[in-house]
Amino acid sequence: MDKNTEIEKLKEIVKPYVKDHAAFNDLHEETDFIRDLKINSANLVDIILDVEEKFGIVIDNDSMERMLNIKAALEIIETKLAER
Amino acid sequence: MIGNDIIDLALACEESDWQREGFLDKLFTAEEQEFILNYSLPESMVWILWSMKESAYKIFNNATGKRAYIPLQLVCSLLENKDNCFYGKVTCAGMNFFTMTYISNDCIETIAVDKHEYFDKISVVDNSTIITKINDLPGFYDENKKRYRSVSVSHHGRYKKIVTLN
Repeated sequence: MDKNTEIEKLKEIVKPYVKDHAAFNDLHEETDFIRDLKINSANLVDIILDVEEKFGIVIDNDSMERMLNIKAALEIIETKLAER
Repeated sequence: MIGNDIIDLALACEESDWQREGFLDKLFTAEEQEFILNYSLPESMVWILWSMKESAYKIFNNATGKRAYIPLQLVCSLLENKDNCFYGKVTCAGMNFFTMTYISNDCIETIAVDKHEYFDKISVVDNSTIITKINDLPGFYDENKKRYRSVSVSHHGRYKKIVTLN
C-alpha cells in the first residue's frame, strides 16, 4: 500500500469523529487528532479500533500511547503492516 | 493542581458505543472492567471512570509536560459513594490524584486534585470569564486578587465548567 492510499484510508476512518471540519480540510502530517481536529478523547479509541479493523493490524498499548496525530498514526500503521 | 472533566451523557451515548468489541479492553484495566460490568448501571460507570481518568490526566499532563494516550496507565479506584458523589483515586506513574465525581441524570462531572486537602479549595469560575493561555496552561487574571490564576476547563455538549483552586 503506498503512502497516499494509506493517508486516504486513514482520512476516511477519522472523518466521522472530526469536530473541526476546516482543520480536516487542511489536514497534513502534523495535524493533531485532539488539538486540531477537536476529536473527543473517548472517540480516539474508536479511531484505533477502526484502524485495526480496516488495516487488519493490532495496535498494542505502547503504540496507542503515541497515536495523537496523523504522522504517528501513519508510522504505526506502516510498522504494523510490515510486521505482518 | 486541579483538573476537571464533564460529560454530557446524552451526547456520550450518541458519540460512543461502549459495548463495541475492544472498547473496554483499550480503555479500562481488567479490574475496572469487572467493576463496570458488575455495577447496576454499567454505562454510567464507564463514564464515571472515564471522567476520572480524563481529569487526572489533565493534572498529569500539566505536571509532566507529557502528552500521550494512556488510559490503561491511569488506574482508578473508587473509595466512597456519598449523596450521588463518588470519591476516588487515580494513580499514574507513581503519582496519586484524588477525585470527586458528581452524577446527575444527564451529566457526570469529575474534579481531580493532586493533594487531598485541595478538595476544600475548589472553586467554580463563571463560564463567561475570558480564559487565556500562558505557557500553554489555561487561566485568567483575577482583578480582585490582582494575580493570574490557572484553571481547568471542560466542555462537552450542553455542559461547560471552569474550576480553580483558591
